[in-house]
Amino acid sequence: MTSRRDFFKAAALTGGAVAAASVSKVAMSALPEPVLQTSPDTMPPLVPNTGRPYNPVVTLNGWTLPWRMNQGVKEFHLVAEPVLREMAPGMTAHLWGYNGQSPGPTIEVVEGDRVRIFVTNKLPEHTSVHWHGQRLPNGMDGVTGLNQPGIPAGKTFVYEFEARRPGTFMYHPHADEMVQMAMGMMGFWVTHPKNKHPLISDVDRDYCFLLNAYDIDPGAYTPKIMTMLDFNLWTWNSRLFPGISPLVARKNDRVRLRVGNLTMTNHPIHIHGHEFEVTGTDGGPTPKAGRWPEVTVDIAVGQMRQMEFIASEEGDWAFHCHKSHHTMNAMGHDVPTMIGVDHRGMTKKITKLIPDYMVMGERGMADMSEMQMPLPDNTLPMMTGEGPFGSVEMGGMFSMLKVRKDQKPGDYSDPGWYKHPEGTIAYEFTGELAKPARSSGAGQPSMKLAQKQQPHIELKVRKPTGHAGH
Amino acid sequence: MNTAPAVQKTSIALAVLLLAGCATVNINESIEQTNQELNGFTKGQLSLVQTDAQRQAMAAKASDILKEPLSQPAAVELMLTHSPQFQTVLAESWAQAALAAQGGRIHNPVFAFERLRIRDELELGRLLSFGLLDLLSFPARQGIARTQIDRAQLQLTGNVVDQVTQVRQAWVDAVAAQQAHTYAQQVFESAQTSAELARRMQEVGNFTRLQRARQHSFYADAAVNLAATRHKATSSREALVRMLGLSSEQAAQLKLPERLPDLPEAPKAPSEVAKRGEDRLDVRMAKQGFEASVKSQGLGNIASFLDIEAGVRYDTDFENDTGERSNKKGYEIELALPIFDWGGMKRDAMNANTLAAANRLEATLRNAQSTLRESYSAYRTTYDIARHYRDEILPLKQTIADENLLRYNGMFIGVFELLADSRDQVNTVVQAINAQADFWRADAALQATVVGKPMTVSVSGAAANAGGNAGGGH
Repeated sequence: MTSRRDFFKAAALTGGAVAAASVSKVAMSALPEPVLQTSPDTMPPLVPNTGRPYNPVVTLNGWTLPWRMNQGVKEFHLVAEPVLREMAPGMTAHLWGYNGQSPGPTIEVVEGDRVRIFVTNKLPEHTSVHWHGQRLPNGMDGVTGLNQPGIPAGKTFVYEFEARRPGTFMYHPHADEMVQMAMGMMGFWVTHPKNKHPLISDVDRDYCFLLNAYDIDPGAYTPKIMTMLDFNLWTWNSRLFPGISPLVARKNDRVRLRVGNLTMTNHPIHIHGHEFEVTGTDGGPTPKAGRWPEVTVDIAVGQMRQMEFIASEEGDWAFHCHKSHHTMNAMGHDVPTMIGVDHRGMTKKITKLIPDYMVMGERGMADMSEMQMPLPDNTLPMMTGEGPFGSVEMGGMFSMLKVRKDQKPGDYSDPGWYKHPEGTIAYEFTGELAKPARSSGAGQPSMKLAQKQQPHIELKVRKPTGHAGH
Repeated sequence: MNTAPAVQKTSIALAVLLLAGCATVNINESIEQTNQELNGFTKGQLSLVQTDAQRQAMAAKASDILKEPLSQPAAVELMLTHSPQFQTVLAESWAQAALAAQGGRIHNPVFAFERLRIRDELELGRLLSFGLLDLLSFPARQGIARTQIDRAQLQLTGNVVDQVTQVRQAWVDAVAAQQAHTYAQQVFESAQTSAELARRMQEVGNFTRLQRARQHSFYADAAVNLAATRHKATSSREALVRMLGLSSEQAAQLKLPERLPDLPEAPKAPSEVAKRGEDRLDVRMAKQGFEASVKSQGLGNIASFLDIEAGVRYDTDFENDTGERSNKKGYEIELALPIFDWGGMKRDAMNANTLAAANRLEATLRNAQSTLRESYSAYRTTYDIARHYRDEILPLKQTIADENLLRYNGMFIGVFELLADSRDQVNTVVQAINAQADFWRADAALQATVVGKPMTVSVSGAAANAGGNAGGGH
């Protein structure tokens, strides 16, 4: 069996290895054969072998769509179709996507390219493609009803325009948009600058991914398309931690991250160990004077942010959305807080009624990642991921930036866990603790309570026990 | 003329007649017959306890039976042999049969003695009289008595079926109520656990007073249901105790099995129960009734016109003056003259009774098949419902419980939802028990109907009560 990479190379060279089965060859003869991707892994960058040269991006857990040159026009073929997307090992969703995956393949072109995109609709309903953020003729903007009729099921439409402006864009349907986006239809678009651009730096690693969210009941496979805000799976490129690939860099590489948000809420994307600058939005490169250092950037709904930094610090650095619920997998939002509740005598009673019952949450939720308990089918634990020091206790929008001095240029493979130099890991203190100095007078209330609160319960703080001398 | 030998001859003839043809009743034979008729029903365990030795043997047997948890057949056996109430039924049947036999006997001859004095004359009159019609109709009356004894026999069989069916149903009620009580206890414990956990939740500040009160109210409701089911278990157990006629000591010994018997592999086929019809009890009773009417009408027709008394007279006159005595002998016949009452109304009534009996027979024949169909339908429906609970609803509820536990494991739901769900599941189990009990009651009713003691049983369709009612108490 050929490896995925070989397969991909072959696909890129021949302009398509796997043809869409249900569209007739004759009908498709004028079209570039659609290339499908069956793997959810991160594919290496697609170095252009035709057309203008550019420095390709790496799509996290995704791939770049090969094209064919036809009399100077770059021709792509997108097939909108139902797909199976492995969101993380152990969980697969029934989504809609393009060319075998959700999100669809990244389209990479160069400023000034004439681009022709064939869109074949293999969905059960009409669709269209809106090229989010692009300057293009109005009739190519893809809003059904407004700019074009919907692409009926089984038909192929052609979009053609010039990629006028360099930058980072997205594509998604503008037909039954709520449903089709909730089902995972979206993709990335990168227009590389034709020439050297004063505001666009050359980078060693250029990563891109989309933020998307799904509501799939534990044990189910298909997203609930009516959900507006209470999604339970927060994903990058329709993948969840621990299924999201790490971003790897050679020490001192200049790294660019392009992150687009197609969920229904904002995401403060946070990186550890480094500061970055926002160098661009979907509106274009940011003027240098408008850049300031950040460790977190909030990406609003429908926005794209482009961050750059020098990966100067070796290690395995967490990289995640800072909404802590977004770094969890599916969980119940109505589960009562059990912290500190004495379960003595209760467990036995409950197991009499429910034999396999186990107490959880009495000490917090971390138990969750330690206990291996059976879950509903097709469900990932709420917090998971085994790191070198135990469970990472994360899920959802979480990955790592892995910086290594010996990572080869162009090598995107996972270098494994970071080996910390001696004396650089937090350690347990075993000496005597001095009595902490505590303020006694400061911080009086500025106004007195008119009515005294009746303390009707005794508040208890539950502290870990077993440590003498505290 | 010597009349003495004539009287003697008559007496001897009467005695012979009595000895030859009188209907007699032997209760033990009668019970034996019922045992045979109901072979599949009573398993031949019926007997009338008459002596102390028998009584002691029965008591010993009863205490043997009570050592083990009481199965349904054991309950039947215990009642048949031990229950004073049931022995009353047998004794009453005996009395009824004996009275019927009495009707077939000839009335005793009447001896009249007169002593009359007219001045010096003393007259001693002796009359031995007997009902001539009585004698003439003797064979007919004997036939009637026989019919009535048979009828009493059938009645006994019917009563036995009745009692056996009642004890079977009482047993089902008692076991089901006890089972429901066990499950109500589980619901109660679940609610109690929720309440206690909620109390601790509020204590540490994780629950509001409202949240705690909600959990506590489940507990409060469950306590009511538990009390109701406990009483239901007690009352149906005591009903069984009464059916079995147990003393307080024996009642204390009584252990019921934990569960109702499993459903049979397959229900009885309609053909298995439909073939019997002619030999059903109710049909036979109606036939007996009709035959008795016809027979008594034959006799009654004569009796309504006539009443004949025949007598042998032997008088002696004493003449005091002369000291002579002379004897007179002869016979006399007494006839009621049908002048005012020709017995027309009597005959009309008898005709009407015979007509009623004939129609009753016809109606019974027709009803027999109908009640059988109804009873079979109840049997089959309750079987199907109980099987549906066993094969569909309970596994579904099990799946729901399993999946809920998985959801609890994944922290998609909390422990209170898990406990609430367990209460739901338990309530379904109670409904399943009710469905099973319905089946066993219907089964007992069908058995009774097949032998000809039609019984109706209600089919509750336990699913109608689904949800809500925590702890059964149905």
